[in-house]
Amino acid sequence: MLEYASYALVLLALGAYVLLDGYDLGVGILSLFDRSDRRRKEYNELIATAWDANESWIVLAGVALWAGLPGVYATVLPGAYLPLVVMLLAIVLRGTAIELQSAAPGYRRGWGLVFGLASLVATVCQGLVAGAVLSGLRHSGQTFTGGTWDWLTPYGVLCALGLVAVYLLAGAAWLQDKTTGSAHAWAGRLGRPLILAVGAAGLVLGFGLRFADPQPLRFDQPLRAALFGLAVAVAVVCAGIAWYGFGRRPDWRPFAAVAGTEAAGLLALVAATAPVVVPPDLTVHAAAGPHGSQLFLLIGVGGCMPVVLAYNVYAWWVFRGKFSRPADVSVADVSVADGPAGTAAAVERPAAVAPAAGGGPWAVVVARRVLLTLLAVAVAAVSQDVFGGVRVWIGPAGVALFAVTALAVWIRSERRSAAAGEFDLRAADQ
Amino acid sequence: MASPAVVEISRWQFAVTAVFHMSFPALTVGLSLFLAVTYTLHLRTGNPLYLQIFRFWKKIFAVGFGLGVVAGTVMTFEFGLNWGRYAHAVGPILGVTIGMEVITAFFLEAGFIGIMLYGDGRVRPRTMALACWMLVVGTLLSTTWILSANSWMQDPAGFTEVDGQFRASNWWHVLFNPAFAYRYPHILLAVLISAAWFIGGIAAWYLVKRRALPFARRTLSIALGVLAILMPVQLYVGDATAGFMGAHQPAKLEAFEGNWKTDNNGYNLFVVPDTDKGENRFQVGIPHLGAVIGKDLSGQAHVPGLLQTPEDERPNMWAAFYGFRAMYFTALAMFAMAFAGLVLRLRGRLYTARRFLRLMVWMTPAGVLAISGGWITAEAGRQPWVVYGLIRTSDAVSHLSLGAAIASLTGFVALYALLLGLWIRYIVRTVRTGPEHLVTDAGTTAHSTEISHA
Repeated sequence: MLEYASYALVLLALGAYVLLDGYDLGVGILSLFDRSDRRRKEYNELIATAWDANESWIVLAGVALWAGLPGVYATVLPGAYLPLVVMLLAIVLRGTAIELQSAAPGYRRGWGLVFGLASLVATVCQGLVAGAVLSGLRHSGQTFTGGTWDWLTPYGVLCALGLVAVYLLAGAAWLQDKTTGSAHAWAGRLGRPLILAVGAAGLVLGFGLRFADPQPLRFDQPLRAALFGLAVAVAVVCAGIAWYGFGRRPDWRPFAAVAGTEAAGLLALVAATAPVVVPPDLTVHAAAGPHGSQLFLLIGVGGCMPVVLAYNVYAWWVFRGKFSRPADVSVADVSVADGPAGTAAAVERPAAVAPAAGGGPWAVVVARRVLLTLLAVAVAAVSQDVFGGVRVWIGPAGVALFAVTALAVWIRSERRSAAAGEFDLRAADQ
Repeated sequence: MASPAVVEISRWQFAVTAVFHMSFPALTVGLSLFLAVTYTLHLRTGNPLYLQIFRFWKKIFAVGFGLGVVAGTVMTFEFGLNWGRYAHAVGPILGVTIGMEVITAFFLEAGFIGIMLYGDGRVRPRTMALACWMLVVGTLLSTTWILSANSWMQDPAGFTEVDGQFRASNWWHVLFNPAFAYRYPHILLAVLISAAWFIGGIAAWYLVKRRALPFARRTLSIALGVLAILMPVQLYVGDATAGFMGAHQPAKLEAFEGNWKTDNNGYNLFVVPDTDKGENRFQVGIPHLGAVIGKDLSGQAHVPGLLQTPEDERPNMWAAFYGFRAMYFTALAMFAMAFAGLVLRLRGRLYTARRFLRLMVWMTPAGVLAISGGWITAEAGRQPWVVYGLIRTSDAVSHLSLGAAIASLTGFVALYALLLGLWIRYIVRTVRTGPEHLVTDAGTTAHSTEISHA
């Protein structure tokens, strides 16, 4: 039974990923179709606060798969090697683009383009991987044995198109929730055509699964058929709510409804295929790791999950409501005028006071330097426990002594510097 | 099964992606602590200097952290992509360890980084401070789990093997394996030290250029203070780690000391090994020093040579030797600089000793270099095993075609070279722009961003 809990954990993480990074990637793709630089920067900033947390879910999905169902992990990853590698490259580029765009003062067109294109490529690759898994991968002994291009199937291409539609829909719903003005109106108009596209994709992929999946789908089992029917019904109802909600208040409704559709869609897929994970015959049971690992994983991850969800919700709460540029925070207690000219002037003084080479006759200087070098060598030797062969305590005692000395010197010099105003923003100006 | 070429390409790919990834946590773990400390100091003292420091370093941290996250995402998938049979064998052990890392560390970091970077003005300052500290906890937890996982591969413990798959028989022994006790403090010190060089080097640049002086003095003082305390400790811990590895993985020590026969009491500085003949074509060393470092003060003991290990269990001496030298020589340079900094401090000349400060600027990437060298020693020195003594690397690789492996290696190398360039350019630009000025005009407070000092 435990392996089904692991499978549920993987599905939970995957579902959270599709939902959260889905809107994230969807907004990225949508940004390609917006002409306004101001709005495109806004889309980037909208994602910048959350992409990191959203992406963590696919890492959790991957690692939970590795720990809980190592047979699936070792089959799917090499099996869908190329699309996964391209997806990872796209994710890397996308994250870089988001951060550098966000750090730049204005809008960088190049990074905007990379952000959009990488979002599209990552989505397409995820669809190809999903299609490859659903169409089955050759394996033996729970590792992949097929060919390099096995992942490229017509069904995979359809999945890619469908996933793009799903992510676009989630992106549009998110935009309606988070933006105002023209972006908001645009998102409202986009919603319904996208729902139609997702519905069409759902029909094609649903009926296509019968032909793509090498295992016979067992809809003659009443429980399976009932669950599948129920999930599909929920998905349709949620899609209907989203249809009604686009372009209407409250602005959060379409996204909530789209989330329901996605969750129900995933459940329908699981209801149709479980317990097989990789068709035709790699089941949850066959791919599962040993009992002890599953238990550790479920207790560890399950125990942390409420905490993780709590602070994720908190982080979401902090950035709730419409996107707005944070007001430039003024520093209440800043009463400093630290001009560049003043700064430069202030340096000259200590620089002029300090003697050039340390002072004293050259013999003294040389002697001091030789002694210091010898001291440094001695300290390094003690630190590397060269005398550990003589007495075991010399190393630890010596290192502790050095660290305490360094700390004392540090504190003393900090006090001196603080007293001399060397750390004072105001003094630097005078 | 898999061709040797695929194994070789996959090893290169893992090496490139791992070293690239590691160079980011090497900075961001320490930086997150530095940021949390400066923000807390700002809250406690109300001194705007700390806010200036916090805001400046936050800019570099944000991009470095983002790059580290995406490069880390690649790592978690790479275990299965190129090393499917390894993944299947160790999944029940390492999958769980890394799963714990994801749930306890990645989510914590990801959940709070948004608040830390964009929360200014949206949350109370105390919540900001909490977010900063949560990020520190996240990065430290991450370091802990991943080191536990990697140390298990170096010195596996607490497991049984069933049908080629490893299962934990004692999780305590798995997580806190013997190698972890040495390698964890070593890497923890290393990441703090490398962040300190990074911070100190950039502060020194401002002092050399005579810009943003209070900012530069304050940061340099903190960085060098930390370094002066940690460098001797790190030399001690590093020596203990090398000793431990010499006992548990003799071949690694033999390879990184650069000897073939066990007849040398010297310390090799430079070798040109000939793997086929099992001898060095050329070597330069200091007589007796090898024995002294090995705790024999008479200078007579011989450093063990690689010929003691059977030929099919020998790691590549080039990688292990030069990886280790890169780490060790950089460490000695770091130690010397920290020592010099301490002397200058005592003489009250720390902020004006221009030759020292210029050298400090060159030391900016020293920590990252040393960490990369250390990882190359650790990983290349463990070869030909992927899990020491249990799974050979050549038996761990996925069923892949050579073309696919080469294509992905090319993709990663090209992309990472580009990113490295972008990252360095971003650092240089941010540093040139300088910390923002916190300016007041009689009564109204505001701050202008990016005052150029051109």
